[in-house]
Amino acid sequence: MEGVSREELKEVLDLARAYAAGHDGISLAGRTVCLAFFEASTRTAVSFELAARRAGADVVSISEKGSAIQKGESLIDTVLTLDALGADAIVIRHPSAGAARLATHYTNAAIVNAGDGCGQHPTQALLDLYVLSASLGGFDELEGRKVAIVGDILHSRVARSVIPAFLAAGLEVALVAPDTLLPQEAGASWGLPILPSVDDALDWGADVLYALRLQKERMTGAHVPSVAEYARYYGVANRHLKSGVLAMHPGPVNRGVEISGDVVLSDSSLIPGQVASGVAVRSAVLALATGAAQKTAA
Amino acid sequence: MGVPNDLVIRGAHVLDPSSGLDGVADVRLSDGRIAEVGKNLQSTRHLDADGLHLLPGFVDVHAHWRTPGREDEETIETGSAAAAAGGFTGVVMMPNTDPVVDRPVVVSGLVRRVERESRVRAYVSAALHEGLKGERLTEMRLLKEAGAFCVSDDGLGTQSAGVLRNGMLYAKSAGLPVILHCEDHTLATGVVHDGVAAALAGVPGSPSSAEDVATAAALVLASESGARVHITHVSTALSAALVGFFKGRGNVTADTTPHHLTLTDALVGTLEGLYRVNPPLRPDEDRIGVGKALRDGILDFVATDHAPHASEEKELPLEEAAPGFLGHETAFSVLYTELVQSGKLSLSRLVEAMAGAPGRWVMDGAYGISPGAPADLALVDLSEAWTVRAEALISRSSNSPYLGRRLKGRVVGTVVGGDLVYDAMGVKFGARA
Repeated sequence: MEGVSREELKEVLDLARAYAAGHDGISLAGRTVCLAFFEASTRTAVSFELAARRAGADVVSISEKGSAIQKGESLIDTVLTLDALGADAIVIRHPSAGAARLATHYTNAAIVNAGDGCGQHPTQALLDLYVLSASLGGFDELEGRKVAIVGDILHSRVARSVIPAFLAAGLEVALVAPDTLLPQEAGASWGLPILPSVDDALDWGADVLYALRLQKERMTGAHVPSVAEYARYYGVANRHLKSGVLAMHPGPVNRGVEISGDVVLSDSSLIPGQVASGVAVRSAVLALATGAAQKTAA
Repeated sequence: MGVPNDLVIRGAHVLDPSSGLDGVADVRLSDGRIAEVGKNLQSTRHLDADGLHLLPGFVDVHAHWRTPGREDEETIETGSAAAAAGGFTGVVMMPNTDPVVDRPVVVSGLVRRVERESRVRAYVSAALHEGLKGERLTEMRLLKEAGAFCVSDDGLGTQSAGVLRNGMLYAKSAGLPVILHCEDHTLATGVVHDGVAAALAGVPGSPSSAEDVATAAALVLASESGARVHITHVSTALSAALVGFFKGRGNVTADTTPHHLTLTDALVGTLEGLYRVNPPLRPDEDRIGVGKALRDGILDFVATDHAPHASEEKELPLEEAAPGFLGHETAFSVLYTELVQSGKLSLSRLVEAMAGAPGRWVMDGAYGISPGAPADLALVDLSEAWTVRAEALISRSSNSPYLGRRLKGRVVGTVVGGDLVYDAMGVKFGARA
């Protein structure tokens, strides 16, 4: 998402809105979308598959289980195979950063990054902007709003996409995390304020608390001493949402760790909407990536 | 004239390098703070201190008061009384107790007890890792809320650099300083320094590298993480030089102890358990190197590592004895006698290393004999000679390596927050017109 422009974002979201509205929009009929998932995924895989099917594309899905990927076929060989079979778009999820970019060197099909290691997860950032602008009353309403991204920035591909996307959309961004969950050069990398707790984020004036998932293996004492301490300082709780502050989370949620259970389905939560809007946003991304929809923004 | 409850200490030679004081003056104390330094100050209460030196109170960032768990060896009451007798007005209590101070409830319990039982300001160090094991981080932010001043796994080194780095990073986020005992346990397999004396005596030795390797790793990680790190009990010339290299490359301070400044591994030849300590006593060249580093300000503080032990843990062969020495009651006199009187260290540098520098570190700012600073003071008679005797020690234990030593210079009064908490002068505050 680095280098994305406001106009490009707006274009994707406008097209997504057309898909969501149900009028057929731009059809992907006759085009082949291949899903190559080198890493387990539920919501992203299902979301992309529905996005492609609803837009009328033929969908081929290969995932870890029962595929050549499981037999050890390399990223490049998989891409070459799908290319030879006539894929128009290849959607890649991979455990290493840079996998999607590498794939572009081996195919003329459009490559869509569905999450690569700790690198990027661009469609997550797009659907987050989609939901947030819908909630605030339009894309232009994002300008000047404040988002605090809370939690494991260090290991998060979501953070690495959401930060530049939010900034490009005109939002102000702060990071909330202990130093054990931040890159060594977090300050120099993004030039954003780094705050010590969710309460401090509210003092900073956050309109949105964006909680990141804390992996279970990082709760056992090396990065974070205990769930109790993490939840106390870095967990989003109902008390934080009193003054109209919104809560977001890319899922899957650890209730009671980075977000309390009563927040997830509360009126202040955009989390159900985040999942729901994934399909329309990904249809738009596929339409633009395959050239079915003409890009207008530079 | 004068304000009731104010106290003027009259006629002492006031020495505080951090405030630029070095001469006879009166000091007025009011509401627990220094109110005024000058000539002919008046008050309803006064203390005549002609012939004495008035110094900022000493601060010991490393002490074991054995509470909770080994109150037979020391308590907050006896430890703080011993500290006061040594001119210490502030002490950091290490967490290697039973139970270990690694949970917020233990910290808050200690904080409450300190308020009731301590004669001096006592700061609670919580553990850096659960059980001091160097594995799981402690709940440092909750520990801080409970009243912890810093974190430390003192007594043990952290064996994994990756774990130590995360500990520093998390402590930085929690706003807590880290005190590090630097020791690589894969190298520290002996009980004394691995030198000539150990070889001749046949006692298993630990090489200097056990400390130096761990110190180097800690310094590299401290400078990279930006955490506030204090390296305690530096005992080798190389570790001191490493600290010097990293000065200005991170938020790092370091201390050494009175015993590493004055004793050597020649004592291994006695084979007496009393002389076991960790880090071990080193050869003379290390003692000299560490002393020069203290003189030059590369090592910032003196800390005693006051470590009381029951006699049944010390009256043993070296290999079986518990490591550690008493420190509070003899620190100033030992260093005045051995280093200042011999011209190796100036009195003002000693005062800065025992009081000013650690005081500012602990109090996070103003400390010393200047208006507004806490009225924490030590009164010292530099002309008095005394002999260290086990039966006269205030500590509940008597494992001092200086028993029988004749020392020059003695603490005769200690003031904490304006209150006289130790008095060897028999002061009577008379109301006086």
